[in-house]
Amino acid sequence: MIKANSRFTSLIITIFVIIFMYLPIVMLISMSFNASRYGGAWTGFSLKWYVALFKDHSVINATMNTLVVALASTFFSTIIGTIAAWVLNAYKRSNSQKLHYALIYAPLVVPDVLMGISLLLMFVSLKIELGLATVIMAHITFSVSFVAFTVLARLQDFDFNLIQAAQDLGASSTRIFVKIILPLLLPGIVAGAMMAFTLSMDDFVVTFFVGGPGSTTLPVKVYSMMKHGPPAIINALSVVFMAVTFSVAIIGNLLARKKKSTLIIS
Amino acid sequence: MKNIITKTLTSIALLLSTLIVGCGPSKPTLNVYTWSDYIDDTLIAEFEKTYNCNVIVDTFDSNEAMYSKLKAGATGYDIIIPTSYMAKLMFEQNMIEKLDLSKIPNSKFIDKRYLTNLAFDKTMQYSIPYMLGYTCIAYNKQKLGTLDNSWNVFAREDLKGRMTLLDDMRETIGVGLFYTGSKINNTDDKALEKAKNQIIAWKKNLAKFDNEVYKIGITSGEFLVVQGYSGDLLQVVSEAKHLDIMIPREGVSISCDDMVIPTTAPNKDLAYKFINFFMEPKNAAKNMAFTCFFAPIPEAKSLAKDIDLDRIFPDVLYTTGQLIMDMGKDNKKFQNIWDEIKMTK
Repeated sequence: MIKANSRFTSLIITIFVIIFMYLPIVMLISMSFNASRYGGAWTGFSLKWYVALFKDHSVINATMNTLVVALASTFFSTIIGTIAAWVLNAYKRSNSQKLHYALIYAPLVVPDVLMGISLLLMFVSLKIELGLATVIMAHITFSVSFVAFTVLARLQDFDFNLIQAAQDLGASSTRIFVKIILPLLLPGIVAGAMMAFTLSMDDFVVTFFVGGPGSTTLPVKVYSMMKHGPPAIINALSVVFMAVTFSVAIIGNLLARKKKSTLIIS
Repeated sequence: MKNIITKTLTSIALLLSTLIVGCGPSKPTLNVYTWSDYIDDTLIAEFEKTYNCNVIVDTFDSNEAMYSKLKAGATGYDIIIPTSYMAKLMFEQNMIEKLDLSKIPNSKFIDKRYLTNLAFDKTMQYSIPYMLGYTCIAYNKQKLGTLDNSWNVFAREDLKGRMTLLDDMRETIGVGLFYTGSKINNTDDKALEKAKNQIIAWKKNLAKFDNEVYKIGITSGEFLVVQGYSGDLLQVVSEAKHLDIMIPREGVSISCDDMVIPTTAPNKDLAYKFINFFMEPKNAAKNMAFTCFFAPIPEAKSLAKDIDLDRIFPDVLYTTGQLIMDMGKDNKKFQNIWDEIKMTK
């Protein structure tokens, strides 16, 4: 009796959580097909906002910028983050690695505004011209932490005897890296990379501050469109954007699950 | 496995190389920093063709965010389009150029009435007015009939819970100031006290103070009277036949966005040409049709045939309209009053 009751309660809670989290998204998707500009009332099914969206030169430009930034920052932060995780794990007990750990951990807790403005001040004082390059650097800065922690979680149950065994059998260190370390760590690395990609796609605050001429990304564009511009295009844009982000996240998850379960910080 | 890695590497390298090549300095570039959807794309294309240059448009979402970014040292922009009060502040802090009007011959087209009656920068010393908008009321004509044009509509108890005022300190206190016979930038304590009491008296009839949902609420019929920005409300009304606009006679606030050139602009000559290009009456007319805002250029009015400019910016606003000014230290007075209004039950 008690068991059945608690099961019922948890079912109810689950349903409510799902409604709370997904109802706004469902609303947004349906509103993007509404012919009305402001969506106060349903005035008919229409694809005109999608047509307007794909005709809008500045939105397409912003999308390209977003993709370039996301791909580049994912690529670099995955490499740096993986190396950081490896070193952190290998030299756990050294004091300097404790400092390293704190440094890697910091971007996870530092507020975006602080990070954005301090990076901007740094770029300005180093006389680095603001633009896509600075946005990419900033995104690498915060993405590295997420990659490092995802890979670190994977390293926790890494069997180092495998490496010794390979060395015993005469494998070169390159070979060990390619044949043993990389394949075993790959699910963690891929999950980290996916997370870096998603974070980079969504970031507004940091991007706004460190961006320069010609580096407007989609989130920055969307914020401006909320104040000024046809709101219905934003709905269509959000749906497209969400579809991309969701599919990347899902692929990342599937990959991670395929190679047995891994710890993912989210 | 190796194959995948090499493929990814090559594609990323390719992508980066196209990026670098794409940025090659072939033509002069003009960087414009503005609100989204605020300049007609076809006009930009025409400007690029005429002056053989590239125009890159970047967007910001608030004057304050743009200001703090530039103040921190961000550079590279040739033209910025902030709201008047922010242009004034930026000029006072030497962030924008003193303009050489001989390089903007089309500045002669700017409406003298706007400059003398409304503008802060009456001689166009540092800014050229770009687009004007105002705050007004939209209401449900079908249910209420034609309304008397006064802010006092918020005193109607029969509409209790079906009306909204903006959730904006200066705009909303401004309504109180207008209605009690004062001016929007008045910082006199007595006048502010009166305005506060007026808003508090109206507050019990309001559904809420709101900046976003009113556009949806008025079309769906949830709200019957809303205060909002003309750019939005005109579009709402054009789509819904049962709604109409009302401009209270006591006065309304006007906002103007100005074109300015930052002192750090890399390409000032081209920036002057850009401003001049958009002050050309036929271009201004085309731009107004695109933005649904009003460029204060009388010659453009006769050229803009497809749009109803008397609705976008009626003449009466030259006498009853007022621009919101940044009050510096006195902003605190407004803040205190706003807190009191918000806390009153």
